[in-house]
Amino acid sequence: MTPAAPPPPRTSFGSALVRAVRDDRAATIGALVIAALLLLALLAPVITRITGQDPYTYDASALDPGSGLPQGALGGISGTHWLGVEPLTGRDLFAIVAHGARTSFLIGVLATAVSVVLGVALGASAGYLGGWWDRVVGWVGDVIFGFPYLVFMVALGAVAPPSIPRQVLLIVVIGFFGWPRVARVVRSATLGLARRDFVRAAQAMGSPPWRTITRRLLPNLWGPVVVIATLSIPERIGLEAALSFLGVGVRPPTPSWGRSISDAIGWVQTDPMFLVVPGVALFLATMAFNLLGDGLRDALDPRTARQGAR
Amino acid sequence: MTHPETTGPLLGRRSVLLGSVLAGLGASSFLAACGANEQSSSGGATSSSTQTGGTLTILVEQTTTNFDPAKSQSLAITSLGLVHRRLTSWKVTSGEPAELVADLATDTGTPSDGGRTWTFTLKDGLTFSDGTPIRAADVKWGLERSFTPAFSGGLTYHKDLLAGAAGYGGPFEGGALDSIATPDDRTIVFTLARPYGDWGWVASTPAFSPVPEGKGAEADYGQHPVASGPYAVKTYQQGVRIELARNTHWTKDSDDVRAALPDTVLISMGQAADVVSQRLAADSSADQTAFGASFVSPAQLVQVSQNPSAKDRLVTSSSGALAFLSLNTTRGVLGDVKVRQAFQYAVDKSAFQIATAGTAELAGKIATTLITDGIAGREDFDLYTAPPEGDPAKAKELLAAAGHPQGLTGLKLLVSQDGNGPAQAQALQASLAKAGIAVDLLVQDSDAYYAAINAVNPEEYDLALASWQPDFPSANANLQPLFATSAIGNGGYNSARYSNPAVDAAIEAAQATVDADEAGKAWAAIDRQVMTDSPVVPLIYTRNSFLRGSKVTNFFIGAFPAYPNYLAVGVTA
Repeated sequence: MTPAAPPPPRTSFGSALVRAVRDDRAATIGALVIAALLLLALLAPVITRITGQDPYTYDASALDPGSGLPQGALGGISGTHWLGVEPLTGRDLFAIVAHGARTSFLIGVLATAVSVVLGVALGASAGYLGGWWDRVVGWVGDVIFGFPYLVFMVALGAVAPPSIPRQVLLIVVIGFFGWPRVARVVRSATLGLARRDFVRAAQAMGSPPWRTITRRLLPNLWGPVVVIATLSIPERIGLEAALSFLGVGVRPPTPSWGRSISDAIGWVQTDPMFLVVPGVALFLATMAFNLLGDGLRDALDPRTARQGAR
Repeated sequence: MTHPETTGPLLGRRSVLLGSVLAGLGASSFLAACGANEQSSSGGATSSSTQTGGTLTILVEQTTTNFDPAKSQSLAITSLGLVHRRLTSWKVTSGEPAELVADLATDTGTPSDGGRTWTFTLKDGLTFSDGTPIRAADVKWGLERSFTPAFSGGLTYHKDLLAGAAGYGGPFEGGALDSIATPDDRTIVFTLARPYGDWGWVASTPAFSPVPEGKGAEADYGQHPVASGPYAVKTYQQGVRIELARNTHWTKDSDDVRAALPDTVLISMGQAADVVSQRLAADSSADQTAFGASFVSPAQLVQVSQNPSAKDRLVTSSSGALAFLSLNTTRGVLGDVKVRQAFQYAVDKSAFQIATAGTAELAGKIATTLITDGIAGREDFDLYTAPPEGDPAKAKELLAAAGHPQGLTGLKLLVSQDGNGPAQAQALQASLAKAGIAVDLLVQDSDAYYAAINAVNPEEYDLALASWQPDFPSANANLQPLFATSAIGNGGYNSARYSNPAVDAAIEAAQATVDADEAGKAWAAIDRQVMTDSPVVPLIYTRNSFLRGSKVTNFFIGAFPAYPNYLAVGVTA
């Protein structure tokens, strides 16, 4: 990736990623935690079937009949209920957290995918084509960037007809509000690339813009795109949790970490584990993606890893 | 009367279910929270004391408190009762049902013409806070004023019952209402469109408070009303606080229901329920002379029960509003009575109790009838005997017999976001799932929730979680607002859209019965008749819990309205 060199082939980009993660201890930890949570999310139905629990079944026998609090120490942790149970319902917290991971990852990752696709398409085209298109994309991006999107999402969540699946709505809306950040990074990277010799050579040989963007620019944008995508996922997960916390996220009884945290607030003094369990899950997920993203950025971003290379 | 309404206690959470909006009759409160230890009215109730003086603070959740009698749905024993007297009022004592007693009038009304005409005589020497005498014409003016569209929002029992009231638009434009006659300054005679045995109770609703003839035209009359009760509004800070000071024209010897112990009553508005519970539990010096008007939530109840000092200051009603699951009889398979009966067995009322307040004890008794505890004539019966956890096998059997061996899918359960409605709805959802009935929750904010209940929409819900606290302690106020055909849509609370001409006729006949015992029997028969058709699944009689500061005295809840009697409360130094 030095200025005059041709773009490296994709295979070595993949191995560069692996190397970057392996060489950075924090990134390694992040990657491992993500892998573990991802497994938990993917296998949630299987794992919870093994424990004999699901996140929907009420179990009054796990509750103290005198108060509705979980029976036993630490929020009712036992061989049956690995992380205890919810007060008032007796639903298994491990099952709720595992299924909540599905909700968080599904929305976090797919919303990021929406942002990245939109952001790369608009950012690369704006950077490469310039002119009025660049200005329009820039203006729209600025408006969306400064938009009070949380308020908007709460309002939208309150009025959206129930016939729209909530997960789809969240993915589209959260994803849409994320594209300007991706577009800005991609546009500035594109501006740098467009001046380089291999792109100019392609232009001089009559390559149409579409072909130049897809063949010459995009392969070289992977680095910044992967970094920003990795760093956006925890934000999207956090946003989903925030919306669920506010009562406009996924509908009950579908488990969601944010909603569990919201439910748990009133129980902090009497059943702190109810807050700790989903809180730690959310913390681990966002922390892991941030560690991984930081590691990747250090390795791949020319400004931090290869200062002066330009 | 009421719902707790706006001025009073009910507030915030009542909304959980049918609220009070104006609808015709009723109010309800869903109360979700509730219950406390077994103390019914007494555990936390304070010793009785007649010490006068001091400042009592009432912490309320809502940000508006309206003292306009025309717009209020308030109970006779809450804030509005401190400022306004009515023709009749309620005498509430610890553990006893409310008793109808005379207030401005010398008795609870004399019926004639088979219950079609009711005559009241005012006590002698009553005066308003401005010093002018209270005359029969002022009561008439107050009632007429309630018909003005600009002052709507209050309870409407009288609007439906007074002869010639249809189409009447209030005294400012429409002249006088002839069915209210005032032959002299102390006599008022009501002519009703049909015989009505509970008119004495209707006369205790807020609109029967006097408004000086010719006054009350301004939109903010509710902030500076002319008082007839022991207190008058001294300062009104919108959304923040109201200070009530003594009305020197009120005399104790003319009033049997108001103790009027504190010199000043402060109503502090916009106090979140959970914060109020925490503050009162902590009992810091500023909060020792305060009590909370909102229900203590389930999470807070657990906390309070672990704090011996606070536990002593928790007062829980012995019973309360009926919480029920409405089955919309106009929707698809729910039109089949056999399918509706399956729901009676499918529901796990025990899980609902736990979701409501943590324990069955705190939540309130399991309900199997529609008439609530403490109402005259109530008969306890259970047409669909099942364990508290429900009988999903029996429900499946009934569904199969009705032609649905695969169960039911895609039913929409409407629930209000307020209080812990969503948690309660999830408990119902989980229990219905066991019986093969798949339900999707439709969680709405309370405005949208009531809009759906009060008007018939093309996009109807299938099921709704609702609750009802009668406006006055008569089975009439339990049944008519929920099951009469006339209460479907147009602001009514018939959430099951239940329409049975035989029941309508029986309701009308029972309403016309003046003899209380006979009327009680008629209402009990209607209760049974409605339950046979299974338009709703009764869940629990919800107990309400309230917290008070350590220097608040005479804080208790009677057997009928599941709210503290504000009129009796005092403070010690």
